[in-house]
Amino acid sequence: MVLKFHEQIVSDLLEDPNGGLVVLSSGLSLPKLLSCFLSFHSQSNGSHVLLLPPHLSSSLKSLLLSLSPDLPLSEITADLPSSNRLSLYSSNRILLISPRILIVDLLTQKAQTSLISGIIFLNAHSLSESSTESFIVRIVKTFNKNASVYAFSDRPHSMVSGFAKTERTMKSLFIKKLHLWPRFQVNVSEELERDPPEVVDIRVPMSKYMVGIQKAIVEVMDACLKEMRKTNKVDVEDLTVENGLFKSFDEIVRRQLDPIWHTLGKKTKQLVSDLKTLRKLLDYLVRYDAVSYLKYLDTLRVSESFRSVWIFAESSYKVFDYAKKRVYLFARSDDTKNNKPGKKVSGKKRKLNEDDNNNDAAIAGTSSTITNNGVVLQEVLEESPKWKVLREILEEIEEERQKQASSGEALLDVEEDNNGIILVACKDERSCMQLEDCITNGSQKVMRDEWQKYLLSKVELRGVQAPQKKKPKGPKGYGILDGVVPVTPAQNAEVSSACKQEHEALLAAAAEIKRNQAKKEKDAAEDPEPQVGSRGLGKGKGRGRTRKGTARTRHSKNNDALNDTEVAKDDRPEIHGSENEGQLNEIKPAVIGNGVPGKHVDRIDDAKTDNSKQLPPVHFHALERDQPILDVLKPSVIIVYHPDMTFVREIEVYKAENPGKKVKVYFLFYDASTEVQKFEASIRRENGAFESLIRQKSMMMIPVDQNDLCLGVNSSSELQGSSSQNSITRKAGGRKDAEKEMKVIVDMREFMSSLPNVLHQKGMRIIPVTLEVGDYVLSPLICVERKSIQDLFMSFTSGRLYHQVETMVRYYRIPVLLIEFSQDKSFSFQSASDIGDDVTPTNIISKLSLLVLHFPRLRIIWSRSLHATAEIFASLKANQDEPDETKAMRVGVPSEEGIIENDVRAENYNTSAVEFLRRLPGVTDSNYRSIMDGCKSLAELALLPIENLAELMGGRKAAQTLRDFLDAKYPTLL
Amino acid sequence: SSSSNSSQSRNAILVSHRQKGNPLLKHIRNVRWAFADIVCDYLLGQNSCALYLSLRYHLLHPDYLYYRIRELQKNFKLRVVLCHVDVEDVVKPLLEVTKTALLHDCTLLCGWSLEECGRYLETIKVYENKPADLIQGQMDTDYLSRLSHALTTVRHVNKTDVVTLGSTFGSLSSIMDASMEDLARCPGIGERKVKRLHDTFHESFKRVV
Repeated sequence: MVLKFHEQIVSDLLEDPNGGLVVLSSGLSLPKLLSCFLSFHSQSNGSHVLLLPPHLSSSLKSLLLSLSPDLPLSEITADLPSSNRLSLYSSNRILLISPRILIVDLLTQKAQTSLISGIIFLNAHSLSESSTESFIVRIVKTFNKNASVYAFSDRPHSMVSGFAKTERTMKSLFIKKLHLWPRFQVNVSEELERDPPEVVDIRVPMSKYMVGIQKAIVEVMDACLKEMRKTNKVDVEDLTVENGLFKSFDEIVRRQLDPIWHTLGKKTKQLVSDLKTLRKLLDYLVRYDAVSYLKYLDTLRVSESFRSVWIFAESSYKVFDYAKKRVYLFARSDDTKNNKPGKKVSGKKRKLNEDDNNNDAAIAGTSSTITNNGVVLQEVLEESPKWKVLREILEEIEEERQKQASSGEALLDVEEDNNGIILVACKDERSCMQLEDCITNGSQKVMRDEWQKYLLSKVELRGVQAPQKKKPKGPKGYGILDGVVPVTPAQNAEVSSACKQEHEALLAAAAEIKRNQAKKEKDAAEDPEPQVGSRGLGKGKGRGRTRKGTARTRHSKNNDALNDTEVAKDDRPEIHGSENEGQLNEIKPAVIGNGVPGKHVDRIDDAKTDNSKQLPPVHFHALERDQPILDVLKPSVIIVYHPDMTFVREIEVYKAENPGKKVKVYFLFYDASTEVQKFEASIRRENGAFESLIRQKSMMMIPVDQNDLCLGVNSSSELQGSSSQNSITRKAGGRKDAEKEMKVIVDMREFMSSLPNVLHQKGMRIIPVTLEVGDYVLSPLICVERKSIQDLFMSFTSGRLYHQVETMVRYYRIPVLLIEFSQDKSFSFQSASDIGDDVTPTNIISKLSLLVLHFPRLRIIWSRSLHATAEIFASLKANQDEPDETKAMRVGVPSEEGIIENDVRAENYNTSAVEFLRRLPGVTDSNYRSIMDGCKSLAELALLPIENLAELMGGRKAAQTLRDFLDAKYPTLL
Repeated sequence: SSSSNSSQSRNAILVSHRQKGNPLLKHIRNVRWAFADIVCDYLLGQNSCALYLSLRYHLLHPDYLYYRIRELQKNFKLRVVLCHVDVEDVVKPLLEVTKTALLHDCTLLCGWSLEECGRYLETIKVYENKPADLIQGQMDTDYLSRLSHALTTVRHVNKTDVVTLGSTFGSLSSIMDASMEDLARCPGIGERKVKRLHDTFHESFKRVV
């Protein structure tokens, strides 16, 4: 069933034959809107529409076909031979194609502009004046003024980032009309709220430690933000913790800092990246189980500790500490009253410890005695509080169903619900797998497995890492992040020996597990539960607390159940946040003392995981997947495990499309968490974006005669007083200039960048081919390798640039390195303070000097921006002959390969795999081709025995190097 | 012109008397320098020389650079035009300088401060006989850097992910052979990264035959 407001959008859009831009709220089902639009459009004028989704074309295709199977859809991919393409372009079908392929086909005239009656973009938010998409529109529009252009976006907040972004986008796409469809638009809200789904909003309290971790992270974030404000480089208004919860925060900051990036000190740069890390930590806190979280933290500590500022803040210490306490406790056996199993562990530990005792004694006399006392490792393995709630909901649903079934009411449900599958929506695949595991095997088993994996990974590393253990150089936070605690040497020693003990204890536990596993494998039949033995530690303890947690959940749920009747009337799920506000305040962040009382040891009897209660069939869905799960599954009960605005809208749409169906939605929020905050903020943010768009729309200056004026606008800003204005597109403009047309040969791969577009704007004819040497050929003599700043640094490091220049120098009289700065970033490599006092090999100045010394014939262009590059190209070409594409293509191609007609090699390679391969030790410029010939993929390569490798790589030595590298044991953490 | 013979002058940058008073000289500190009678501004080695040009000066005397280059004749293999970018509006003057340098066989180097300009002169002198390995891609040879060098070719994979992958799978070959599911189980590696990694490893090098 097609939604009314979708029909409305389509008919509004079709009013203007020129096309338009539609911005709608996320989750209002852009694919459905599109399918509605396409079926309309293809019926009404039966002509030829092109569609340009950047990367998702095949998934979109199947989605569209599932929605309306009659659509004449075809997909054009790089592997399609050119003859097939030609016929497809003239076939009056709807074509899915990537911008990169289309632009090349347009330029090589495989695609005829006159046959293209409409262009549709789905990612209006990511377009700009210089993007390939606007290049396409410009070419099509100049030859076919009647072609219509439709653009869509369901990311309103990205449509308002940057100055007058929407207006500029519209101009570059030759679009006059802007259609805004926010969720709060009358037609939309009426339709979605007529018969809303029944909503149950469940607030799950976080565990004490989770609250503590969250609080600590927010504190550190706040400290980082404060510190950033002090730099006076960023607009303070945007720097809030709330903004910090979103990915777009990085964008905000980067946009402000990019122009002055080189003037920033290391510290500010580090703060920017720290904030990103912290945001992830908050997010993972509610998504990962305690063990995985700890593991992630460990990883972070290893990979970041030397650079990060935040890791040294006092609150960060809490993050690590609490995260650990959610998993295990580490106690000295003398102050624990517990136990027999403990003894066992510590006994084991002592053995491992013996060699370390000496060291300990040497470092700090005091601690050695403690070591002899032994330590006890208590497993806590705190489960995610939502797990339990999820199980309870499922049980409740099943109970209800059974009741209904027995009382004969089942007719309704059973008939329309196909098998009554319950949909559980999580953010990511990982959570799905884990939850599924929890439901089928019980949550303790899941925790235990994670724990075992965690421990085992620690054992493995032990063998390898012993010799080169790096000691952190002591805290070196910048004194900001309020309380960097100066550590006295004595404390330090104690801490490190405590760490060591703890480490030993972990290793002992791991060894135990390993032993048990081995044993289990040996005599699986005789003794089915050796694993349990090692883990009996805190048995019988934490039950009290668990119970309490449960009670609480129940309580809050009842609350909601009571509210339900009221709620249902008013129903936009987002509103529920406020209803529970009283409850929000109720839970204060727990203050956790240093000595952790034993009752937190939270283990539940194995018996509890019984399957005594029946569960209904459940489907776990990862929101990241972006699949139309609701339409496929048609669930009547949906449990939103990770609340997400877009998905809420999708549920609303789904309900509106199926008015007869009863839909019940459970939302699981962690109470008083940033999860709630983020959800609410995302709605506010979207509304804010729409308000701003509505304002912008009222003030927009869109030229009436857009075709001409748009060209004028584009060109006047870029080509002041240039005579080539008239030849803005290669054959258009009516006037044939006396001066001959300029020709530039461009490597296919370069169409990822905007330079070809700008060169074309400048009046040059672009000839796309696959070049083995260089990126642009300006004349028979001049060949240019283009490097953005980032590329430049990277390709210096990888050695790629050296080889590229080497080949250019070999084949061209004037080999050129183009260093292209970005217009909105600073025009320089580094700030004066980065230069330092000495000549250092790592500095870019040194690398560039070395390059210049080794290739004195290499010319260098320093370009301020894309447009400056175009000017320079034009002036360099002025007195040169035009380049010849057939010659250019042959340059540097090994003769045995020959040239294939219409060769699109760039498209035909798995480029990231090739790049990966070339970076492996033993792989060289001369042998990588034969490796690719003899071996299909990297996965295959990974398993290839050395004999075969030696054959492919032309030598045993290289093969040995590669094999060793592939099989080298990763030296793990700690 | 570089006929001054002592071995001392061989290890020093020779500076033309024209450059007297150029504050740039203050910043040549890692190499000795001495005034000499030479055609170019800075003589950096037997076959390499440099001309110094401030963009501001170029705006006043647009022909200066051309005449200076012409004076050099063909005596040098490496002829550097060292351009001090000391104006705000760079596009037009830089275009002119670029064109002149490029079409008259000069290598253009830009510095944004006198320190930076000075450092180029120093470096070219110091590295006069240095082999190119520094820029030939012989990077750190320890296992971790090599591993992360390779893995970070996959877009969006960062150093933390490298550690995660390494510690989860134990070796590169196991990473390369990992299933989507196993990759997805790694903390911090989201859907997109999983797909990118998996595609990189499992899709064939050549897409079509």
